Amino acid sequence: MSISPRPLARPSPSPASTPPRPPAGPLTFLLLRALVIVLFAVLMGQLIRLQVVEGERFRRLAEINALRQEAVAPARGLIYDRYGRPLVYNEPYYQAAVVPGDLPKGREGEVLEGLAQLIGISRQEIEARLKETAGRQNPYLPVVVADGLSREVALKLKEREGELPGARLLVTAIRRYPLGHDAAHLLGYVGPITAEELNEIGDKGYTLHDWLGKTGTEMSYEDTLRGTPGRRLTEVDALGHPRRLVAEDPPHHGMNLVLTIDARLQREVAAALRKATSGVAAAVVMDVHTGDILALASLPSFDPNSLSHPQLLGQASELLTHPGKPLLNHALGEAYAPGSVFKPIVAAAALQEGVATPATMFVSHGYIAVAHAYDPRALQVLRDWDLLGPMDLGKALALASHVYFYRLAGGEDGAGGLGPEKLARYARGFGLGSPTGIELPGEAEGLVPDPVWKERVLKDRWSAVDTLRMGAGGGYLQVTPLQMAVATAAIANGGHLLKPRLVLEVIDHQGKVVRHIPRQVRGEVPVGQDALAVVRQAMATAVSQGVAHQAQVPGLSVAGLATVQGPGEVAHGWFVGFAPADDPRVAVVVFLRDGTGPQAAQVASRIFQAWWEGHP
Amino acid sequence: MTWREMSQRWDPWMVAAALALAAYGGLIIYSASLSTFPDGVTGLDHPVVKQGMAVALGLILMVTVMAVPHRVLALAAPVLYGLALVLLVVVLLVGQASLGAKRWLDLGLVQVQVSEMAKLATVLVLARFFSQRWREMGRAGNLLLSLGLAVVPALLVMVEPDLGTAIIFSVVWAVMALIGGARPSHVGLVVALAVLSIPLTVAVALADYQRERLALFFNPNLDPLGGGFNILQAEIGIGAGGLWGRGLFQGTQTQLDFLQAASTDYAFAVLGEELGLMGALLLLALYAFLLFRLIRAAALAHDLFARLLVTGVAVMLLVQVFINIGVNLRLLPVTGIPLPLVSQGGTSTVMTMVALGIAQGVLLRRAPFNL
Repeated sequence: MSISPRPLARPSPSPASTPPRPPAGPLTFLLLRALVIVLFAVLMGQLIRLQVVEGERFRRLAEINALRQEAVAPARGLIYDRYGRPLVYNEPYYQAAVVPGDLPKGREGEVLEGLAQLIGISRQEIEARLKETAGRQNPYLPVVVADGLSREVALKLKEREGELPGARLLVTAIRRYPLGHDAAHLLGYVGPITAEELNEIGDKGYTLHDWLGKTGTEMSYEDTLRGTPGRRLTEVDALGHPRRLVAEDPPHHGMNLVLTIDARLQREVAAALRKATSGVAAAVVMDVHTGDILALASLPSFDPNSLSHPQLLGQASELLTHPGKPLLNHALGEAYAPGSVFKPIVAAAALQEGVATPATMFVSHGYIAVAHAYDPRALQVLRDWDLLGPMDLGKALALASHVYFYRLAGGEDGAGGLGPEKLARYARGFGLGSPTGIELPGEAEGLVPDPVWKERVLKDRWSAVDTLRMGAGGGYLQVTPLQMAVATAAIANGGHLLKPRLVLEVIDHQGKVVRHIPRQVRGEVPVGQDALAVVRQAMATAVSQGVAHQAQVPGLSVAGLATVQGPGEVAHGWFVGFAPADDPRVAVVVFLRDGTGPQAAQVASRIFQAWWEGHP
Repeated sequence: MTWREMSQRWDPWMVAAALALAAYGGLIIYSASLSTFPDGVTGLDHPVVKQGMAVALGLILMVTVMAVPHRVLALAAPVLYGLALVLLVVVLLVGQASLGAKRWLDLGLVQVQVSEMAKLATVLVLARFFSQRWREMGRAGNLLLSLGLAVVPALLVMVEPDLGTAIIFSVVWAVMALIGGARPSHVGLVVALAVLSIPLTVAVALADYQRERLALFFNPNLDPLGGGFNILQAEIGIGAGGLWGRGLFQGTQTQLDFLQAASTDYAFAVLGEELGLMGALLLLALYAFLLFRLIRAAALAHDLFARLLVTGVAVMLLVQVFINIGVNLRLLPVTGIPLPLVSQGGTSTVMTMVALGIAQGVLLRRAPFNL
């Protein structure tokens, strides 16, 4: 490299002949001083030009803060259903504001009085609002003094901005949800960002004044819906009125979403649930081939219109303390014991494992007796829901016999059954015990228990009774309605475990498709086609002449299963099923926390009917 | 050397000017930080406290460097220069980015701006090079070698990217080469070639943000929402300052946060707005005084190495002051370089004090001048 100089001690050239000019003499330093003076003189010249010659002009510009930079909010993306019907849209929202720095000196009262009369509040109210921020924020930032002006008042204010220097009309947008309560959990709502959220999100350019999606699709698709704010730089005159647009960086509007939801069906589903119960309930309607969520409802519900309204903030806290947890999406946010609707999975597992054939016969005497876990001489009795007599597998499923499924799970005298490990493996194979991956926040995992789990979490040994209970869908097993919908769709579609699809397309505000979300298969269930066909047939029987007959729909063959309750038995009301029975297209799950299986089946019947009317 | 001799030889005025500038700077930084720290100095994280600690550290290092004979400095020059180059490469690899440029090396407790160290190391190595070869500087090969010594760190700094500091390297080289015996026509040719190659550099070598900055200088209205906004706001602020300023802590451009980087690159704009032409002239007077004391020290130095070294330091300071204030006054394109001793920036402050320490060391060891 050329950067290392030669050693210090080197022979100096002979000075004899032409003595070189010794550098850095007095002249050098004279020139250096001159350079300092010249350069500084240049700076001084410019200083005098700016501060003395043009000082007046600049002072005026500074005093009125002539250059105003303001953010231009992007329009938040709209949400449509699969047929293009609006699920969420924006509505203009008018606010009256005062820019304290622009109020004319000495005439402040006059302006405020004029503004007060125009918008119909008292001047004291305006002054109180101004006092809140006085001295604490930049006086050239507008302070909102009245919210939610009517369109007429807003127009009048716009007209009179010229006569009322310092008064401003602010136009923003609020979210409207035409389906209201009926799709609240699906769509979510928007609200002002909290300090914690601001911290968590980090540097995505949010400020404390921003709003964002709080739950539902509004939350999970926040980044897509939001867009990016633009900026505008204006030069204003002494009255604060814009004189010249210096520059504009336009906002990028948010993208619109097309959901898989059918708005009409969504309404019908919510209505059917509401008709059946005033308690906690949920229903999911899913296309068995694509995984499209056609409807998803949860009760109790809330009105996202009021939660997203700037003047009605604070209602959310009320909802948080409500015993029914209205903000929780019960279709996926909490897991419950499935009871008999787990039996199709057990039946499929037993067929696949050779534990039973369609012809395997057991007799239900109304109960089964097992040796007690800690005292082999004592017997523990597990009851069936009725004295059901001799049954093959199809009949047992159609009648949801507990005893038959105790036998499938535990065998006879502890031998020949599926056992807890296989039960757990098949449950997981149908997607239970893990989130379905739907693009909605707050999904619960549910619980598929096994001996290792019980040992680790409950510090207790797995007993034979645990196995039997799990075989009938009881015990520690916990599932969400959405997980059951995915599992039911897998039985109906020949074994494909689908990821529920909620968003079909992302489109820009000109209607161009930016992104198409494809159907996603999470995997295949570990059960052969023959076994699935047997289970489908049995479920069809359950509706045509078994425990789920309330789900029948005239003109449509429905297959399904509902929970049953024997005397004194406590269970949730579940229905899982699909239609048409011989060529399944749609899966329906209904969950009534404090209801019964027959009630759930009845709700399902209404849902199937509504679906059938739309898809004959 | 006795204490008496030493006290006769060192330059208290130079130190006084430096401390006066630092104090003036502290006042400006305090004012510029009021919108972020409205309660004034309450903890160690206040910029004025940080700056004060840098000044204190600078004073300690200044005295330490004074004790080092400059023959030792000449011997150490290549090592320090090599070390600086290594650090410049390291900062490009693992440096902390700020505003799109990687300039800082995170040492845990403090962040160091390596280019500030590289500037002084380059002055050292150039002083050594010219002092050894002043008789042969008429040869183009030697001139190009010395140019290489300045260009390598300049290029490394430029890709950070830090255009302003790269320009300082070039100007310091040109002035030191002229004083160090190079033919003015040669230096002129190199400078001319460099200027002519600017359009090419702009097209090829500059980062997008640098090209934008250059374009902004010629027309800030191109992007008044980004960098251009700050130039306009700085100009409005300084202009509004008028003769006597709008009063300390009273500048609306500064205090209402219209001005960005008010305590660092735009400290002069704060001064101009709040203390007006008179305040700005006082600052220029302090700088001029400091520079004249440095030039005096260079003239008194007893060998060529020392002369070149102190001259290099003086030129380095002069160019920084001129560029920084020139940017604030919209005379020059926006380049982020500090205002020595005044704007907030630990490494710059410490290295400036070290440079003054070198000058003091030269003064201490001045013998009857005989070349």
